[in-house]
Amino acid sequence: MDQETLLTIQGYGKFFLILFVFIVFYSYAYSIYKRQKTGERDFEKYSNLVHDDFLDSCPLEKRDNSIEKND
Amino acid sequence: MQSNAQLEYDYSIVKAFTFATILFGIIGMLVGVILSFQLAFPELNNLAGEYGTFGRLRPLHTNGVAFGFTLSGIFATWYYVGQRTLKMSLNESKFLMTVAKLHFGLYFITILLAVVTFLMGFTTSKEYAELEWPLDLLVVVWWVLWGVAMFGMIGMRRERTIYVAIWYYMSSFLAIAMLYLFNNMEVPTFLWSGDAPSSLMHSVSMYAGSNDASVQWWYGHNAVAFVFTAPIIGMIYYFLPKESGQNIFSYKLSLLSFWGLMFVYLWAGGHHLLYSTVPDWMQTMGSTMSVVLILPSWGSAINMLLTMKGEWQQLQTSPLIKFMILASTFYMLSTIEGPIQAIKSVNAIAHFTDWIPGHVHDGVLGWVGFMTMASLFHMAPRMFKREIYSKSLMETQFWLQTVGIVFYFTSMWIAGITQGMMWRAYDEYGSLLYSFIDTVEVLHPYYTIRAVGGLFYLVGFFIFAYNIYKTATAGRVLDKEPANASPMAS
Amino acid sequence: MFHWLEQKPFFFAVVLFLTVAFAGFVTIVPDFAKQSQPTVGTKPYTVLELAGRQVYIKDSCNACHSQLIRPFKSETDRYGMYSLSGEYAYDRPFLWGSKRAGPDLMRVGNYRTTDWHENHMMNPSDVVPGTVMPKYPHQFTNMADLATAYANANTQKELFGVPYDTDGMPKLGSWAEAEAQAKEDAKLIASDMKNQSVKDAVANGQVPEIVALIAYLNSLK
Ligand code: HEC
Ligand code: HEM
Repeated sequence: MDQETLLTIQGYGKFFLILFVFIVFYSYAYSIYKRQKTGERDFEKYSNLVHDDFLDSCPLEKRDNSIEKND
Repeated sequence: MQSNAQLEYDYSIVKAFTFATILFGIIGMLVGVILSFQLAFPELNNLAGEYGTFGRLRPLHTNGVAFGFTLSGIFATWYYVGQRTLKMSLNESKFLMTVAKLHFGLYFITILLAVVTFLMGFTTSKEYAELEWPLDLLVVVWWVLWGVAMFGMIGMRRERTIYVAIWYYMSSFLAIAMLYLFNNMEVPTFLWSGDAPSSLMHSVSMYAGSNDASVQWWYGHNAVAFVFTAPIIGMIYYFLPKESGQNIFSYKLSLLSFWGLMFVYLWAGGHHLLYSTVPDWMQTMGSTMSVVLILPSWGSAINMLLTMKGEWQQLQTSPLIKFMILASTFYMLSTIEGPIQAIKSVNAIAHFTDWIPGHVHDGVLGWVGFMTMASLFHMAPRMFKREIYSKSLMETQFWLQTVGIVFYFTSMWIAGITQGMMWRAYDEYGSLLYSFIDTVEVLHPYYTIRAVGGLFYLVGFFIFAYNIYKTATAGRVLDKEPANASPMAS
Repeated sequence: MFHWLEQKPFFFAVVLFLTVAFAGFVTIVPDFAKQSQPTVGTKPYTVLELAGRQVYIKDSCNACHSQLIRPFKSETDRYGMYSLSGEYAYDRPFLWGSKRAGPDLMRVGNYRTTDWHENHMMNPSDVVPGTVMPKYPHQFTNMADLATAYANANTQKELFGVPYDTDGMPKLGSWAEAEAQAKEDAKLIASDMKNQSVKDAVANGQVPEIVALIAYLNSLK
């Protein structure tokens, strides 16, 4: 295979890779807003992770498989 | 495990890194001020024999502020923000505590050794990767230790969802690990010395010429991304909402701009190599992607500014909020300036001139420096359990440093564009209008202004150091941790 | 799927790493082999020149000087022919620099001479009033490290296949041979210099840094 064909293949390869990443990215964006809208998951509540960050305050969402049994 | 009521967050490591931030900040910025005075008054090069020349000191400055000052700030805030948003304490694990201590100790030794070896002239010459191979190995060790501490802490968390600030710290860890390893591929010469008594410190790069340049600026550009940008965004996503009591304007936007930044940043390194001998398509890619980079950058910046929506009066009442809002503003400024410089026709004039250090410093002084100091100010009352010593000193510092930054970047804009235009000016007969030395002499006033601006910033930093020191030793003792706004004595 | 990812730090880290690593491999890897082909006529550095290059790096001349001539008329008029990728094939590390406080040095060997450098390095403002370049008197008394320069060349030869000791290319040989050769080269340079202590040192078989540095600067063409 000569240099020319190799470059062409590379070019297409890059194009499709970028296309792929774009699709993933936009479907991520879409899914975030859709989940917020349908109420499946409220993203904005995560700001509370900052406001309520004392060691003894109750976690926003507990880890079910958490190593420590804090109840 | 015992009940949480007796547990507390452990700030000993945070305090150690806070101390390092201030110490290396003073060293690094002092050297920066010396450099800027040397360009205005070259006799200053000879005050300390060979050890005080511009060339020896410049790597000391860049590494001192990037890997001394900024990284300590990142580590200090990591051990603070990490524990708090993950809701775990280092006290809960002897192992992680030991790792964190080792991390600090080795890190501190490395930076001290870096100071000594740079003065002696041990450098690989690659920007921000100047450390010679034995120190590179040390860096790898404590970087891994940081990773162990990071993932260990994440593994022990009580909070299920990982807050977005932590994402940025993780990205910094992963990306720098990759970049640093690839860019520092080098072979110590004593291994293949062929019987010659070679120096033990010296090494040869595994890449040559244009390849070395491509790898270097892939590294160099992204070292900026993952030391000066990503972790600082992490900081502001914690400290701004916390200090102001506001919610992030849009948490969703913060997630999207995170992934946008992660994907786009790495493509932009080619803008350091425009019109060089690396392949054309790499240059075009670097240039284009730099412009695309505005989107995720401004996504974060706008998100930060709008976090203050409805609460702008805090800008008047709290110097801490002022520091953070000015920091985001400078972030916006440098993320629009950078892409402009990456446009090929602009770059033809701007490259190799003082406009580049001008651009670098409105980012690092305004954004990185302000955000790091603001974070330390916010943490101080919590870790020392004392009120901030003086609000009026904070105000003085703020204005002094802001004026310093303005002096710095305005003078360098003018200097850079003047120089760039003079290099390419022709007279009516088609010969070059200026000899090189003309283009040096014309810069003298701008170099002087820059040096004075830098001095202002440094004096501001001393005020900062004094204020933190006084807070730790003489601030009024607090009986309860403040929820939001940090208490400060006027 | 996204939701799951955000709560699994390990997989999250893997995806993050791939996102970040992606660009590097796509942009840098493809042209690696092509880039490293030397242009016809480009030769590896001699041991003395390499020792001088080390001095250049040790004192970070690259903090103020570039070695990259861009393809603009204003640059080729000032500095000479624009740079080609192959001319750097033996540059480890590359020394393009990122800022021109001083002029480009890519082809300085074409228009500056040994005695000019001697005066200029001792005190630049004697030669060019108004300059901001530092003085380098210590280079006249410090000795260059030929052994490390040889080790450097030998590493390049054995590990990276740099064609020392082949037809028409610089000879490296053993350390003893190379050392003797470098000292001979140094004598040639010193014969064009005036500084008596440098001349004495070279006559005694020593090589001050300035001699090696000038050998390197003269090789930049
Ligand atoms: C602070 C920045 C600075 C540093 C560091 C520096 N130079 Fe210079 N250099 C200049 C300036 C400015 C000029 C132009 C005026 C002059 O000729 O002195 C210059 C000019 C030169 C020239 C003349 C080039 C020409 O085309 O006329 C040479 C050669 C040179 N430098 C070599 C060196 C070497 C070798 C080192 C390292 C040991 C070095 N410089 C370090 C700023 C610097
Ligand atoms: C106290 C204020 C400071 C002053 C006076 C100062 C001065 C300087 C000077 C004179 C240079 C060399 C520019 C040149 O080669 O012409 C420089 C480079 C640099 N400084 Fe600073 N500096 C300061 C603070 C900082 C801080 C806080 C940071 C980072 C957190 C920083 C990061 C850098 C970087 C990355 C470079 C390299 C720029 C490039 O390659 O173009 N500086 N600084």
